[in-house]
Amino acid sequence: MTKTVTLLGLESSCDDTAAAVVRHTPGALPEILSSVIAGQTDLHADFGGIVPEIAARAHAEKLDICVEEALIQANLHLSDLDGIAVTAGPGLIGGVVAGVMCAKGLAAGSGLPLIGVNHLAGHALTPRLTDQAPFPYLILLVSGGHCQFLIAKGPDDFTRLGGTIDDAPGEAFDKTAKLLGLPQPGGPSVEGEAKTGDPNRFKFPRPLLDRPGCDMSFSGLKTALLRERDRLVAEHGGLRHADRADLCAGFQAAVADVLAEKSRRALAKYLQLSPGTPALSVAGGVAANMTIRGALESVCDDAGTTFLAPPLALCTDNAAMIAWAGIERFRAGERDDMTLQARPRWPLDQQAPAMLGSGKKGAKA
Amino acid sequence: MQHNPLILAFDTSAAHCAAALLSGDKVIATGFEEMARGQAERLMPLLEQVLAEAGVAWKDLSAIGVGIGPGNFTGIRISVSAARGLALSLGIPAIGVSSLEAQAIDAARPVWSLIDARRDHLYAQYLRPNGDDEAPSLLSAREAAALDGARVGPDALGDPAPAIARIAASRITKAAKAPIPRPAPLYIRTADAAPPRDPAPLILP
Repeated sequence: MTKTVTLLGLESSCDDTAAAVVRHTPGALPEILSSVIAGQTDLHADFGGIVPEIAARAHAEKLDICVEEALIQANLHLSDLDGIAVTAGPGLIGGVVAGVMCAKGLAAGSGLPLIGVNHLAGHALTPRLTDQAPFPYLILLVSGGHCQFLIAKGPDDFTRLGGTIDDAPGEAFDKTAKLLGLPQPGGPSVEGEAKTGDPNRFKFPRPLLDRPGCDMSFSGLKTALLRERDRLVAEHGGLRHADRADLCAGFQAAVADVLAEKSRRALAKYLQLSPGTPALSVAGGVAANMTIRGALESVCDDAGTTFLAPPLALCTDNAAMIAWAGIERFRAGERDDMTLQARPRWPLDQQAPAMLGSGKKGAKA
Repeated sequence: MQHNPLILAFDTSAAHCAAALLSGDKVIATGFEEMARGQAERLMPLLEQVLAEAGVAWKDLSAIGVGIGPGNFTGIRISVSAARGLALSLGIPAIGVSSLEAQAIDAARPVWSLIDARRDHLYAQYLRPNGDDEAPSLLSAREAAALDGARVGPDALGDPAPAIARIAASRITKAAKAPIPRPAPLYIRTADAAPPRDPAPLILP
């Protein structure tokens, strides 16, 4: 297929409401014509975490406004597009439903095809949007809700090498910030505090490093941090600034060490495929952390593998990645109809056994 | 204004998928299915069915009427989100109509309109003859039992779509050239969320 394809993307699976227009002509670089993101950080600030019902309420009243804005910025009308791509899961179901229904309304009224996109595929295919990465490449998806290693072999062909068996690192950063009286989101505030801290003062655990494979665990790290905090508070009647900085630095070093070592193992497995131009790409908000990024970069250097880090705005949740993943599906001839279902759980690798939430709703990831 | 405005109304605020097509002052097609779940998958096909039955297309519509609740939070969002998407793609207004008003469309005012809010509570609104209505509120069953005056509900609703369509039509006429606000869910109940239990530690210099 040689036709230019222009898609609108909608994203509402967590706490960012987003709409974007992406255009691609075979042989040319993909163009992000617009990418609008309305965050909800302030709405959730008082609750120490994302409240699903509050998120869903905001998405329902913001999505169409983001779409209008994305079309204006792209200087296009709906009639100029080839289709509408929307995150159909996995994620917080109230927001996903709002997005899917808005997209259905847009598709019905405009007569454009509807394309449901897996949110994780959006992240996992971003290296193709930003760097035209050829398959197969290795991707570490590390965010507030997810942490897994995937080999991307095709737009709809992913093999999971391993992932977290409990918390995601982004979640651990948020909880750390909460325990230490730092503002949300925890990623930037813990990283900022860690700058003046000593990463070696506290010996936090590196869970599962003693076991083979690429699975990870971060909940024990949080418990260890809580124990140290309580000990320091009991000793001094409060938490001293310098102690807090050391706790942050120690916590961050532990996360970076675990991700680096597991990346080394994932790379070894991936390199067995003898990829032509080996590459490891990161995606997800935690990829913004410079210490973690540095650790991954040096792992890649050691393995002679290219390290790809998409710009931060395309690492965190956005709709350009959904439009792009939609373009890949569209080119493969895939379309959805008006019965498209919003799915709270939707693992990218359907073959691998469930790691999380293998309850009646099926595997989360 | 068009000679015979065509208004498509729909509602998924309770255990149903409901749609009605109004042409002028006549309901020319309806669809009503009781369902506890699956409205998000069923709604659009049902709307297409109703349009096909009347032999009209999406682009023939002059407005959308949508039920905004109160009721099931997710159900309300299903319809409101679809209505906003349709309004944007068709370039026509979407008008939000509350279930409290819809179920009382033929009731003599003043009247208390009541809807079951579960957990021993009711959504209530006092509707006046001149349309200067009280803001809706959440009442305990005991408070609702003590209300004075005529009442409609809490289980009179049935298929709300024809009433939503008629009320939407009257709003368009009234609004004339004033802009119609985008439909927004009428939750009344706040989101269940509590501040964190574990307070942050005292930070020392």
